[in-house]
Amino acid sequence: MRIDMFGDTLCAMVTAAAMAQSGHRVRWWLPPGRVARALDDGRVLYQEPGLAELVSSQRRAGRLDCRTDEPGLASANGEPAVSEPAPVVCLALQPGDLERAGHLADWAGRGGARLLINQSVFPVGTTEQMQARLSDAGANTPVVCLPDTLQEGQALDSFTRPHHLLLGCDDREAEVLVRELLRPYNRRRDVLKVMLPREAEFTKLAISGMLATRLSYMNDMALLAEQLAVDIDVIRQGVGSDPRIGEAYLYAGCGFGGPGFSRDVMSLTDTLRSRRIGAELLEQVLQINERQKEVLFRKFWRHYEGDVEQRRVTLWGAAFKPGSDRIDNGPALRLIEALWAQDVDVHVHDPLALPELSAWARGKGTLTLHDDPYEAARDSDALMLVTEWKAYWGPDWDDLKSAMRTPLILDGRNIYDPAYVKRQGFTYHGIGRG
Amino acid sequence: MTTSTLQNLPPHDDEATRAADQALRDHVGQAGEWHLADLFADDPNRFDTLSLHAGGVLADFSKQRLTAETLEKLRALAGARGLDAWIRCLFEGGEVNWTEGRAAMHWRLRQPARDDGEQDPVQAQLLRMERIVKRILSGQWRGCEGDAITDVVNVGVGGSDLGPLMASVALHENQPPEGRRPRVHFVSSMDGSQIAPLLDELNPATTLIVVSSKSFTTVDTLSNAATARYWLEKAFPDRNGAVLRCHFVGISAKPERMSEWGIHGDNQLLFWDWVGGRYSLWSAIGLPIALTIGMDGFRELLAGANEMDRHFQDAPWERNMPVLLGLVDVWNLNFLNITARAVLPYDGRLKHWPSYVEQLEMESNGKSVDRDGQLVDYHTCPVIWGEVGPNAQHAFYQLLHQGTRPVACEFIAAARHGRRQGSSAELQPLEEQHILTLANCLAQSRLLALGDRALAEDDDTPTYKRYRGNQPSTTLLLDELTPRHLGALVALYEHKVFVQAVLWGINPFDQWGVEMGKKIATDMIQVLGNGDGGDGLDASTRALARYVRERQA
Repeated sequence: MRIDMFGDTLCAMVTAAAMAQSGHRVRWWLPPGRVARALDDGRVLYQEPGLAELVSSQRRAGRLDCRTDEPGLASANGEPAVSEPAPVVCLALQPGDLERAGHLADWAGRGGARLLINQSVFPVGTTEQMQARLSDAGANTPVVCLPDTLQEGQALDSFTRPHHLLLGCDDREAEVLVRELLRPYNRRRDVLKVMLPREAEFTKLAISGMLATRLSYMNDMALLAEQLAVDIDVIRQGVGSDPRIGEAYLYAGCGFGGPGFSRDVMSLTDTLRSRRIGAELLEQVLQINERQKEVLFRKFWRHYEGDVEQRRVTLWGAAFKPGSDRIDNGPALRLIEALWAQDVDVHVHDPLALPELSAWARGKGTLTLHDDPYEAARDSDALMLVTEWKAYWGPDWDDLKSAMRTPLILDGRNIYDPAYVKRQGFTYHGIGRG
Repeated sequence: MTTSTLQNLPPHDDEATRAADQALRDHVGQAGEWHLADLFADDPNRFDTLSLHAGGVLADFSKQRLTAETLEKLRALAGARGLDAWIRCLFEGGEVNWTEGRAAMHWRLRQPARDDGEQDPVQAQLLRMERIVKRILSGQWRGCEGDAITDVVNVGVGGSDLGPLMASVALHENQPPEGRRPRVHFVSSMDGSQIAPLLDELNPATTLIVVSSKSFTTVDTLSNAATARYWLEKAFPDRNGAVLRCHFVGISAKPERMSEWGIHGDNQLLFWDWVGGRYSLWSAIGLPIALTIGMDGFRELLAGANEMDRHFQDAPWERNMPVLLGLVDVWNLNFLNITARAVLPYDGRLKHWPSYVEQLEMESNGKSVDRDGQLVDYHTCPVIWGEVGPNAQHAFYQLLHQGTRPVACEFIAAARHGRRQGSSAELQPLEEQHILTLANCLAQSRLLALGDRALAEDDDTPTYKRYRGNQPSTTLLLDELTPRHLGALVALYEHKVFVQAVLWGINPFDQWGVEMGKKIATDMIQVLGNGDGGDGLDASTRALARYVRERQA
């Protein structure tokens, strides 16, 4: 089948590439920006396992046609220059792009598309509003909602081998068509949960809210664990072994970030607020998370009793999670800003995210970026472990100790064994570990 | 910088001043009988001749019981008293505060930065202040646990309280363009009644205490500061060094006393002997204002005041707002014998304006000894009190309308409310409330001035329903209550106070009348404690002290 994909989100890229892989012919329309520029240079901006290879193989095979230079895209409405939409039109736009979504829906409806799939994270109810807009204009293109449930860091995998999929759809024929499109990825058992569009949109946000709540809850417990001199990691294992709770999203740490997750929680909070429902729990969840992003700074500050000016600090990891080059909303940014404000000299190592970090820091402050983690730690007064890249799990403790001025480890992801690290001659503080 | 000395100033009492004074006494013979209703009926152009605009402030004194001729005679008196030389002396840094041998250079605090700004101590302190403000607003001022500061408590009294409080509340709708402002609290009362409930609410980890005291010996302030310090040190017993460094800022003219108390050197902001306490909101004492509206807003406040400074120095007296308002007050007090003045802001944002003005005027001009050390034989400062106008309408306006005393009134309002912020910003009824308030302001000043003649004639009205009218008033209309216009308004009052002091021949910059009370209070502590030293007291005080002692036991 022919598919038009719009947007430059990770969801747009994964969907377009996976659909091309299963034989569909996909025209992918990208707005001007970093993602489009990278594609023009033959690169793929999203660092997801297998994704870059898939995108280039599908482009070579001619099934994925990336349109980054269409003059039509620059028009006021952002509509493509061609007048004929493909039978299936997908929108995976940025969250703020509601107006453009409206124009594209009009275009798809006018051109008689058979199906419009909205994958963008918009406020609850948007898909149904689009449907009403098309019906009012006399178009009979059905609009469905297929919320983006990709897990960053394993995005491709979570699309092609989904554990569950949400489909917001109240049109029998549209559902048949969506099932046909997803058939290669929905074989072992039917993972498609069909509900009303607004229910699907809401479910998607509610899932993010619940996961965020679990994380913030564990971070609150971590604070208590420190007071009671118990190790939150032991508590986590005990709690997670209860089948009513399960093991996922119970890791205490220095805060969650990323372009998707915190955005969803904020969107949910906004939705609640706009309906005059107090989003008390979620506000707290977000607030605890913001506090948590600075937890390593506070430990550093307390260690030196606030006398931190002119000291040197090393960050291991800047990406909001391992496997990604994204730094959006991540704890590294808040930490660096806090350190800058106290005139601390900041050195960073990260296997992937340094270009992003350097772009972010431009005009804000000075960072020294290192290719070698031990170089980054040289003469340092504290090492902050921010992202749990695999390469950080087993450092050469002797080298590290001789590189640092003060052997102080602040472990934001609890990846080290406190007793062992202390035996190597380090001062160690984790999250919620006595 | 000082070139003028007091010796160059004309004598306070000479042939010329006596002649100018006599001309006014002759004039008041007729003017004392005038009714405002007649003055308006006689001269349809009254508003045009008796109002002016400067610094974003419209001053209308056409509802005062005077004419252009009166003002001319008042200007002659001011001329004879050497007002022009005094103004020069003030702005040249002369020793206008002669009982303390000091200049009074609050105007220096709001001069624009010069090119050599780095050398200028005023600009240097502003930059230090700016750094602190930025750090707090950006959430990067850290408590001893490493938390961002969410609450700032200003501990100060008198000038270290009233000015910052008045301006912070008045300008609260102006958000800093960047960052997140802390909640700012004010603590002044020596009995701890303000600080105690506040400390119950606040989180010590995220609270910053600002101790403001020019001398850093003020007992009210230091006792509140000691309570705050005890509270913080108790909260973090093992971080005593960091508590002072992370939770206390000091603002004073005495750095050594700040250090002695324990304020960390990096956290000290300075001002100078040549800034009087009640004239100090332009200095680092204004830190709470800057935390409320941002440093750019604070600089706007300074710029507005500077505009008024230049107007005061440059405008001819016929169009000089501080000069004219000062002369009007002298006319009311010394010639029409109106010994009370009510300050009535028609804007809830200015709710602390009356108490601010009470201090500024009564502490400055509540004096009775002239430059030659002689007791004056005329009234100086009137009794000043006030309240937000619409609320006062339900309180003491009865006395203004139908009481026996003449009272000069001062109406202050903003012509437009200006941009509102917050979730209620778009509520149309709020705009209507502003208009309703202005309508009340204009209606009250009109009724006070004209009395029954503001109403339709009806001879059958019983006497108890009648309005005498003829209560004089000035209306000050700000174009909008912005930092800039508020700065101009405050500077207008400061200079008006100076003009009056020159006409009365007194020193507006000292306050010897408040020193002795502090001293004998110290002795009284012992009397209340164990009765020692009570023998020499008068019978009343002795008995009261005994009564207290008995109930403490």
